[in-house]
Amino acid sequence: MTKVKTSKPAVAKKDSTRSYLKRYWQLYLLLSLPLLYLLVFKYIPMVYIQIAFKKYSIIQNVWEMPWAKNHGFEYFIQAFGSNDFRRALRNTVVLNLMDLVIGFPAPIIFALILNELCFKRFKKVVQTVAYMPHFLSWVIIYSLALQLFAPGEGLVNMAIERLGGSSIPFLNDAAHWVGTYIGVGVWQNFGWGSIVYLAAIAGINSELYEAASVDGAGRFRKMWNITLPGIKPTIVVLLIMNLGNILGSNFDRPFAFQNNLVMNVADVISTYVYRTGIKGLQFSLTTAVGLFQSVVGVLFLLMANWLSRKLGERGIW
Amino acid sequence: MKKKLIAILLSGTMVALTACGGGNADGSSTPDAGSSTGDSQEAAEDSGDAGEAAESSGDAAATGELVDGKFAETRHITVEVYDRGNDGGSDPTNNMYTEYIKKGMLEDHNVEVEFVKVPRWTEVEEINNLLAAGTAPDICVSYSYPTVLTYAEMGGILDLSGYVEDYKSELTNLWDWLGETNIYWDKDPVDGTIWAIEGKIAVNNRINTFVRKDWLDTLGLSAPTTTEEFEEMLIAFEENKDTLLGADADKLIPYSVSYDVGWRAATLIESFIDPDISDKEMYVNGYDDRKLTQNGTKEAVRLLNKWYNQGLLWDNFALYGSGDTTEDDMMKAGYVGAFSHNWDYPFRNGEDSINVNLQRNVGEDACYIAIDPFDDSKGTHTKYVSSTAGDRKIFFPHTNDEPLACMLYLDWISDPEHIQYLQIGDEGVTHNVLEGGAIQTVAATGDAIMNSGMNIDYTITCNGLHFADEELTKLSQAYNYAGIDPDIVAEADKIAQTDAVPAKNVNVGAIEAEANIGDTLSAKRDQVYDNAVIASEADFDSVWDSMLADYLNSGGQAIMDERAAKWQETFGDTDMLP
Repeated sequence: MTKVKTSKPAVAKKDSTRSYLKRYWQLYLLLSLPLLYLLVFKYIPMVYIQIAFKKYSIIQNVWEMPWAKNHGFEYFIQAFGSNDFRRALRNTVVLNLMDLVIGFPAPIIFALILNELCFKRFKKVVQTVAYMPHFLSWVIIYSLALQLFAPGEGLVNMAIERLGGSSIPFLNDAAHWVGTYIGVGVWQNFGWGSIVYLAAIAGINSELYEAASVDGAGRFRKMWNITLPGIKPTIVVLLIMNLGNILGSNFDRPFAFQNNLVMNVADVISTYVYRTGIKGLQFSLTTAVGLFQSVVGVLFLLMANWLSRKLGERGIW
Repeated sequence: MKKKLIAILLSGTMVALTACGGGNADGSSTPDAGSSTGDSQEAAEDSGDAGEAAESSGDAAATGELVDGKFAETRHITVEVYDRGNDGGSDPTNNMYTEYIKKGMLEDHNVEVEFVKVPRWTEVEEINNLLAAGTAPDICVSYSYPTVLTYAEMGGILDLSGYVEDYKSELTNLWDWLGETNIYWDKDPVDGTIWAIEGKIAVNNRINTFVRKDWLDTLGLSAPTTTEEFEEMLIAFEENKDTLLGADADKLIPYSVSYDVGWRAATLIESFIDPDISDKEMYVNGYDDRKLTQNGTKEAVRLLNKWYNQGLLWDNFALYGSGDTTEDDMMKAGYVGAFSHNWDYPFRNGEDSINVNLQRNVGEDACYIAIDPFDDSKGTHTKYVSSTAGDRKIFFPHTNDEPLACMLYLDWISDPEHIQYLQIGDEGVTHNVLEGGAIQTVAATGDAIMNSGMNIDYTITCNGLHFADEELTKLSQAYNYAGIDPDIVAEADKIAQTDAVPAKNVNVGAIEAEANIGDTLSAKRDQVYDNAVIASEADFDSVWDSMLADYLNSGGQAIMDERAAKWQETFGDTDMLP
């Protein structure tokens, strides 16, 4: 947009806005629908954030509901006083951090390896196979995991037992469950995640590689000094977006994977909100929890963005 | 110029598409005039008036709009029905049984009935959302009274006390069938409000334990009558698995429970409770219907824990949630030796019942029979069963603007003639009349298939076989399961009634700590049971104690304290009900 604007011939200043609009109004018209969508589905519902500070009632209009006790903060106090919420908060942070530490580098490494393959066809096949799991729903992935990892009847455990080992409680012991959860998450996502990096790698000027070869750089040298710096901005942007999500949690993955035996490590904020709010009809309490989650998410995002600017990258705004 | 044209065209189309989308959402409800959405939105707007109407219903003129039980103008009501999503079932809102009800209601009362389906296994969430959105059906049912109480506290449902009294003359079937016991069951002793009417349990059998008869015969064992013998039997199954299952020996499960241990080992747990338990203790510790907080439960679970560690239980029981059929499939395939469940569980569902499947898959001799193995400290086999109440609770949401028409519906559905038709359907299609007059249910096909046993989902005021003729009901009880030997059913019925103790109604008014708890405590209860069962024997005590403490801290203790206080207030120092 800005490029177009500056390339315009300079006209009288007061006319510039008008002629600009006259020239590009179609684009704004096209933009209006997405904006309308955001307004209707993202901004108007924010009116209901006030439920967090009010005593929810199924019959009253949200403006009529009485304010909660303690200057409206009763439900925040209640949430932080509840063992279940604190446990869900801890689990959300721990699981997301582990996802970040293990799951974030995985697609980068995969993209780097894929980039080094010389057989084009093989590379394409591997790539396609690797991002297929992304299209499976978590419910299906969990069914697969159950068939593979269940104690006793799971394929993997049967193999282990036939080989003389003892069955591993992949799904019904807290520590093992976390491992399974993270591992399956990485498996589902690394192929899809690598697409962005492969695109970024493709954009690196090939002359750089040629020059490096002339200077006698080997494969790893080139990877380290050309490819990685080349995709650094992409990595940083994605990292920021991931950090913004540290308290956010998707619902279907933990919900599909959790069972009564591992709730202690598997209950995250989203499933807690579902159970307490939607099943238990405590909308005020869970709106408060959701609001807290969003505010912390925004703070993380701001922090990560600030940090990336400090480190000399562009950030996302 | 061309670009401009395209832009206008494109955005024009988009606007049009969006408008269509919005229009459709509204439009979908218009074809069948005044469907649920339309009606309840209106109702939501003038909920104030509905409230006033409710209050003024005390007038004797309240039923004046009826002529011979019929409205002058056709009324429209919506009724909740469970959607069980069973294989080969029909649309629960539109089949030959709903047609029967719709036709009958229109003819008898000039009331149009529309059914609204709610998924059986997520009913509470669904009703929460419907109520919050103001689109709940006019007649709702739920198994959970605390949930009803939560709605009531928010002002989300109508007080039925006025209607049952004022319209009494029009509700003879309802009063005859439910009686004061069930209608007043939940009546608040202080302010007289009735938030829900309790449907009646015609057959109050609860849990039975079943065992593979052919396995007992193969191993030369007799049916166990004590817990000790039961344990020996389980061990015998495990030790002889090669004889019993041959190549599939590894798949044998001596005793199967599900994640819902409190239900699936109920009779075992109950046998560890003191048979002389006082009414007060039963009540104070009895919020949880799986008896988690009763004295004695821990020792019962310790035994289950021992069995689990000996490899006598299904090792994956906690991984499958409610509504999952894995365990049933294992029973049907013939891998499960014994289990406890609803008193008639292996007989249900006609051609798809566990016993019929078992015979198909394993052989003619294979079948589950009921046994009575768990003896308590007095040597009896105490089972805590429901009274006539304790089944579904029927309530009207505040958006209900046809309370009289809805009460007439409840009356109509409580008419023994109508119950009988819904339970047995047409002769030659869903039942045969035997020589002695007994009615035998046969497996139906196509449209006549019942989505729930005896159409329990439509007979919301009645659970269990109930005909106009009581003798006939008794006679037919054992023939009520298509494809199942009546003797086996009769025996199961007898065992379910042996030493049965019906629940008593302790009505001390609303317990505030029970509202707003909803489903959270029952989810925790399952976690306590499941984790305790799979703990190592050495860890059992610490697992049980710490998890139970968490349950109590999360509201369990508050409920027990409030119950104890309210008991004291109402009944004083006595430990037994008057």
